[in-house]
Amino acid sequence: MISRLRYTLREMWASMSRNKTLTAATVITSTISLLLFGLTLLIQRGFDNQLKLWTGGVEMIVYVNHGAEANQVAFVQGALESQTTVIESVTYCSEACATEVANTLFAGDQDSLQQLIPKIPSFFKVKPIDKDSGEVLRTLKSTFKDLPGVFDVRTPDQQVEVLSQLKSFFGVRTLLISGGLLAASALLIWNTIRTAMFARRREIEVMKLVGATNWFIRLPFMLEGLVQGIAGGFLGGIFMLFINRDWTNGVRAFPVSSGLEGFVVTDGYPYTVWLIMILVGAFVGAVGSGTAASRFLDV
Amino acid sequence: MIKLENVTKSYSTEVTALRDASFDVAKAEFVFLVGPSGSGKSTLLRMMNRQERPERGAVWVAGRNINEMPDSKVPHLRRNIGNIFQDYKLLTDKTVFENVAFALEVIGRPRHVIRQQVPAVLELVGLSGKEDRFPHQLSGGEQQRVSIARAFVNRPLILLADEPTGNLDPATGEGIMRLLDRINKTGTTVVMATHDQRIVNMMRKRVIQLDRGVIVRDQARGVYE
Repeated sequence: MISRLRYTLREMWASMSRNKTLTAATVITSTISLLLFGLTLLIQRGFDNQLKLWTGGVEMIVYVNHGAEANQVAFVQGALESQTTVIESVTYCSEACATEVANTLFAGDQDSLQQLIPKIPSFFKVKPIDKDSGEVLRTLKSTFKDLPGVFDVRTPDQQVEVLSQLKSFFGVRTLLISGGLLAASALLIWNTIRTAMFARRREIEVMKLVGATNWFIRLPFMLEGLVQGIAGGFLGGIFMLFINRDWTNGVRAFPVSSGLEGFVVTDGYPYTVWLIMILVGAFVGAVGSGTAASRFLDV
Repeated sequence: MIKLENVTKSYSTEVTALRDASFDVAKAEFVFLVGPSGSGKSTLLRMMNRQERPERGAVWVAGRNINEMPDSKVPHLRRNIGNIFQDYKLLTDKTVFENVAFALEVIGRPRHVIRQQVPAVLELVGLSGKEDRFPHQLSGGEQQRVSIARAFVNRPLILLADEPTGNLDPATGEGIMRLLDRINKTGTTVVMATHDQRIVNMMRKRVIQLDRGVIVRDQARGVYE
């Protein structure tokens, strides 16, 4: 068993060393494909995070000053609830509740949380009766933004719709592109293995004649493809983490009124995506090399 | 040890490699397959290790009909059959030792067995002291000895040799034949395809002659005609 393992690893390494250029090209292609795949998952997650702020028909958020007295909160609530002809419902989220929301959105991003939590405002989520009337929202916003105790009033206007459209646009297209690139990676791995097998056709012929099993012959080649796929996933994941870190830092520098503060993925999700990328890379490598090793065994 | 029953093989409608070939080879027998190029000698050898299958008839090796053997069992069959070729089929980037060890390594023999068996078989074929040489540093006769060592290192029941002296001068060819004879005397069945009239006449072993895929002569202690 140990001698077989040693043989398999040695032959895999020898084959990869012999085809350095092709191996490098395969790993680079896999890296780029898997990077795009990983970024697609992150973009989807970013849209989801951003949309979470505006789910359930909420069309307006009224932020109350941090540390506002209970009577100030009650005053704002009363003012909102008095608008029965235009407002359907009002939900209050205290500072503790807002901290919980922030912890979910910025999980793992201690810098942002430390900046945000000491001055986190409580807020009211407001559902208007007529959700499609921009005029009503603008009137409500101007009515409430100058009330005592109110820190800020946010309305999504067409933000939710735009975000949903963007999510669907980018999500589908980047997924298709990354799927295409993954297929290209699988084909490149397939071709690399085919070339490697052709280069070693004499050895394969001898192996078959002396009684090596097909699996024994295939295994180093399959492992080679698997390693190339995993390397692509691993390297792509590292690049993805760098890009995500730069993006998160960039979003942090946006003005508070940009409305894009949720458009970040800061919990452990990028690491989950990294793992998914490695697994997908392994799968692509195994499929590409496995089919080639089976098909071209009779070289 | 080997039995062919009415074996027929065609490569196309015009080319029939073997027609209704039948014969038995006993354990430890030495058999020459002779005949002109294209007479079916190599096809016969390739059928004995299941590199090819007949269209009709049966090939029995060590008591098993190998045409009905599942593909998964073929490697195990081949571990009992050594193969020697005219062009040696050595791996040029491996040393003499590695070439022979390769045959044991790929069937999963442990290292200590390889370290024990390879020097022993290299001594048998007269290549002790040349373990670290590469094929291009050897003469044709020596390369063929490496090929024989590789075929015999696993102590197979049968040795199939396809024109093993075809690329060698007469004196070197005789040395190879003496070696094959010694191996045969250890109880290994040897089936050898050859054009070499001188060698066949020198060895005086059983001769099966083929002509256009048909066995035209099967003679004990025969000569080349």
